[in-house]
Amino acid sequence: MNDLERDIAQLIVDTLALEHLTADDIAVDQPLFGQGLGLDSVDALELALALQNRYGLRVAADSKSAREHFATVRSLALYVRAEVDACAS
Amino acid sequence: MIDLSIQAWRAWAPGVDSAADWATWAATPHAIVDAGEQPGCEFVPPMQRRRLSRMARIVMHAAWPLCADDEQLPFVFASRHGETTRTFAMLDEIGRGAPLSPTQFGLSVHNAIAGQWSILRGQRGESVAIAGEADTFEHAIVEAATLLDEGAPAVIAVVAEERPAPAYDGWIDDVPFSYTLALRLSRANGGPGWRLSLDENNGDAAPVDMPHALRFVRALHDGASLDHPWKTRRWTWQPIA
Repeated sequence: MNDLERDIAQLIVDTLALEHLTADDIAVDQPLFGQGLGLDSVDALELALALQNRYGLRVAADSKSAREHFATVRSLALYVRAEVDACAS
Repeated sequence: MIDLSIQAWRAWAPGVDSAADWATWAATPHAIVDAGEQPGCEFVPPMQRRRLSRMARIVMHAAWPLCADDEQLPFVFASRHGETTRTFAMLDEIGRGAPLSPTQFGLSVHNAIAGQWSILRGQRGESVAIAGEADTFEHAIVEAATLLDEGAPAVIAVVAEERPAPAYDGWIDDVPFSYTLALRLSRANGGPGWRLSLDENNGDAAPVDMPHALRFVRALHDGASLDHPWKTRRWTWQPIA
């Protein structure tokens, strides 16, 4: 787990009030939604908001790619890095 | 006039939880210091529990044992002020120009706790969420009585208030501390119970200085009648043998 992945896992735990988990309990390739961690659509909205606030991204909620970006901690980290780099350049 | 039997009841306030706690409190009712304590609700799985506000936890803690897992009972949720904590958090976000939390928004509606009860307990029947004035407790009883009249074998009725943020001082003055009273009610059918009557208040009776639901908890212990005037309404509780 790299620093950004750990940061995002911690953001998930804090934002979604997962009091029974720590960031280390969420594997980077564990599916976040449905049968994986068990997050739902309200969590997706809440998480998108938290990512916007923390990393200054704009998340298009309806796009098919958003579903792919939000699949795991690893995919979220790749997405955040790409967006932040795109904004910087 | 409504005749009801109280099959079971549970109440909660900070540090006052068990039947023995309430018997002690009822003997000498006093203001309870509210330091934000909340029930643990370990019987709710963590992924569901994280969505429960303090007020929802208080309600679930009190009401949960009153309904068996294999029965379907109508549910009445009554609160004059509702989820002030969630509302205040959203007002703060609006004030800062920040986006609203979808979770706070979705669960701030008055029937959210009734909905959570339905989901967590697998209750597919009727539920009611009401907000009245200082006599919200009596209006909850009226709602429960109408559900019993429609044939429900019993009704779970819960009155709950949470001590609001200090910003509400001067606006909300009738929640000295967070509390709930959960009742499992059925028709009296000639057996022992309580009779609730409503008359017109001719104006010479002043409102009482303690939440009606808590006065009723005291009456459950000492069996005394209650007189609850509020504006044009005058509610009377009398024990029936």
